[in-house]
Amino acid sequence: MKDDRSMKRERFTPVTYALLAAGLLLTMILCACVGSVRISFQDTVIAVWNALWGRSVPQGIAKNIILNVRLPRVLCVTLSGASLSLCGAAMQGLLRNPLADGSTMGVSSGAALGAVIAMVTGFTLPGSAYGGMMVMAMAFAFGSLVLILTLAYALDRSLATGSIILIGVIFTMFISSIISLIITFASDHTRSLNFWTLGSFSGVNYDQARLLLLALAVFGGVILRFSPELNAFAVGEDNARHIGVNVKRVKLIILIAVSALIGVCVSVSGTVSFVGLVMPHIARMLTGPNHKRLLPASLFSGAIFLLLADLTARTLLSPIELSIGVVTSLVGAAAFVVIFYRTGKAR
Amino acid sequence: MLQGSHITVRYGDRTAVDDLSFHLREGQWMMLAGPNGAGKSTLIEAIAQGIPYTGTIEWQGRDIRTLKPAQLARCIGVLAQKNAVGYAYTVEEVVGLGRYAHKTGFLSGECEEGKAQVEKALEMTGLTALRHASMLTLSGGETQRVFLAQVFAQNPRVLILDEPANHLDLKYQQYVFTLIQSWLKEPGRAVLSVVHDLSLARRYGTHAVLMDRGKSVSQGLVADVLTPDLLSWVYEMDVCLWMRDMLSQWESR
Amino acid sequence: MFRRIVSLFLAALMLTAGLSVLAEESMITVTDMYGREITLTEPATRIVAMQPSDCEILWALGCEDALVGVGQYCDYPASIADLPVVQSGQETNIEEILALNPQVVLMNDMSQSEEQVQQLEQNGVKVVISKATDLDGVYYAVRMIGQLMDRENSAEALIADMQKTFGEIREKSADEGKTVYFEVSPLQWGLWTAGKGTFMDELASVCGLTNAFADVDGWASVSEEQVIARDPDYIVTITMYYGEGPTPVEEIMSREGWQDMKAVKNAQVFNASDSNALSRPGPRLKDAAIELYGFIHGTAEEESPAA
Repeated sequence: MKDDRSMKRERFTPVTYALLAAGLLLTMILCACVGSVRISFQDTVIAVWNALWGRSVPQGIAKNIILNVRLPRVLCVTLSGASLSLCGAAMQGLLRNPLADGSTMGVSSGAALGAVIAMVTGFTLPGSAYGGMMVMAMAFAFGSLVLILTLAYALDRSLATGSIILIGVIFTMFISSIISLIITFASDHTRSLNFWTLGSFSGVNYDQARLLLLALAVFGGVILRFSPELNAFAVGEDNARHIGVNVKRVKLIILIAVSALIGVCVSVSGTVSFVGLVMPHIARMLTGPNHKRLLPASLFSGAIFLLLADLTARTLLSPIELSIGVVTSLVGAAAFVVIFYRTGKAR
Repeated sequence: MLQGSHITVRYGDRTAVDDLSFHLREGQWMMLAGPNGAGKSTLIEAIAQGIPYTGTIEWQGRDIRTLKPAQLARCIGVLAQKNAVGYAYTVEEVVGLGRYAHKTGFLSGECEEGKAQVEKALEMTGLTALRHASMLTLSGGETQRVFLAQVFAQNPRVLILDEPANHLDLKYQQYVFTLIQSWLKEPGRAVLSVVHDLSLARRYGTHAVLMDRGKSVSQGLVADVLTPDLLSWVYEMDVCLWMRDMLSQWESR
Repeated sequence: MFRRIVSLFLAALMLTAGLSVLAEESMITVTDMYGREITLTEPATRIVAMQPSDCEILWALGCEDALVGVGQYCDYPASIADLPVVQSGQETNIEEILALNPQVVLMNDMSQSEEQVQQLEQNGVKVVISKATDLDGVYYAVRMIGQLMDRENSAEALIADMQKTFGEIREKSADEGKTVYFEVSPLQWGLWTAGKGTFMDELASVCGLTNAFADVDGWASVSEEQVIARDPDYIVTITMYYGEGPTPVEEIMSREGWQDMKAVKNAQVFNASDSNALSRPGPRLKDAAIELYGFIHGTAEEESPAA
């Protein structure tokens, strides 16, 4: 018996991974070579190559711009894109809601509020000026997530698509007004509202790239490790419990990992919306919903998408720089409508 | 195998299950019967550790609260009344999730035995041809069969079923019940199920618990519990008369 | 192009303003910077000013006591700090203004709507639009406010003083093709600079410098790469220093990738003492110009003209 509903899904093989990785690498090279200032491909390669092997790099503008401005930025964008996309994919699976994401659910705004409060109050950790802000961003991200989920559960236990997003949007608006209030009173101590609401990778450095790498390795590793559990959650939370998933524990761990990762991203680059919403969705079209394939695919596609968005932000109106959130939101809002429409049709 | 003592579940002021005890032994198929709102599904939720309850439920003498979720899943498999999948998982992927509790390390792939179990479950439920179909394209009955296959793949000792024939047309109703009956034949297994259709309960059950307003009215062998008198009292209607009336529709042509 | 038209327009306005004052001796008639004619029967004694620059002009003319209400950002001189604030952002409190009973309200045309202007005028309050975008505009505003307050002599003296200072600086500064980059917001918060059409740009040209970002309009966020590539001779930051961590100058000098820039190598990075003086179309532009000149030619006071 043959059934025509069989899905002709391309197997997601190591070759596909290799292709995605190659795509990411090419995008990174493109983004390292193209920028507001024109630097020849040859100079770029020489600078990067020599620096990579610890040789001395010929002095000059190419070295300063490529090694100190563009490269750290490309690295940070890559890691942030991968992290945000991974978080989006994890939340969409965990909550069984294709519209869930750090930005639609207000987690990013919560993290931004934490960072702003840390900056305004001068809260720092001993040994690291940056750490205080990051820890506060993580804590607030987690707090917001718990708050939003509690509210959503109270309203609608099934966590239906609409209600959770509605709460997220209202929460985001609420937090944004608090941030703008704080900035009005203490503008001298924190970045502009623009940075927190639209995000920017301007002026990022290698330290931040290292931080993002560490966060992605630790928390991203945790999320990847929970792919089978995420599959179970994506099928249904009750079903997950029936097949033996430790529902409470797994949920708590994933939520902590997600908020920590989003917290780190927000403290580096502000709120970059929609990456985590759009890219897992596109990845899902490619690989199907199985998180074993979906999560790595989201990781790569998120990095590629954010790299291209940042490239646009850097070069479109050169020498002026756009906020990266302007670019991602333009693309993301359109995608949001499409996804909403498609999920509506699927029911 | 599975023994519940003084199980009580409260939703706010309402007592959904009231001081209920039962004992499910090897080889039994225990039917939970009773009118709507009697607390049958609630009892099953409690056994599946889905809602808080007082009293104890023991698996071979051990309180199941102390079991890890994966340990419990290897002993008890639950088929819920309603299952819906939000994403386009394939039938095979959803059935394969049944193996979750049997996986040891997170990097170890599914072992041969697991694959065989999934294959067997697909075959038993007649889903082999649909294995690559997206869950979103399935009918309600097909979806229910997928989750039945999942619980078979899970290979527990006790099956707990909430309306296993829900959404299924007659052919598959018969098929599924026969299937469960043959599953039960192997030693060391038992079934506990909620069945609305009292004829099915009598036809396939070995034992029964008749519930009304959270309490156990009667339990024991099916023939002793699902008697005309008790049923009429609990359902507040002459159940036997109604059943005969239904049957008579087929006798006179 | 647009700015040139505005300048021409303003020049024409100045002429007509002068003529109208000649015609009406007893009454005070001024043409505001929107081209509207406003007539007062006597010099203003109660005035509301919404822009910091207009407050500073009033102060420079010795009339700050006439102020009865101010806008949100008006903070100079310190003596006006306790005045009621009648406007913040887009919100203008018309009721509060009427309650203060001023003869004149000085405002920009940016955040106030026509309806609000009409409301004020229907209640007998004269609305005068002041919107200087270049030095000539500042002179016009000074002259206009001088007329309103019957301080025309002080106004002319102030203008002459400003012109003299700028003239002297211009004379002493040969245009050697050197460039300056104004940093309005530091790297950590995303770089912003002042481009064409800002007072910083104009002051740079007074000092014989070219703004490194003359191709950018107004205030804009610019890419770090561009700053490095344009390699300005001077960097002027207006970041405030709060007494903790590295100073804004130290921070710029220590940035990765900036160390080979001319301004950093030659230690030509400066921190403006008052960012408002550099950006407000008021009399303190003179102080800002002197400070800027001081940065370029070494900070020795005796060298700077008209100190």
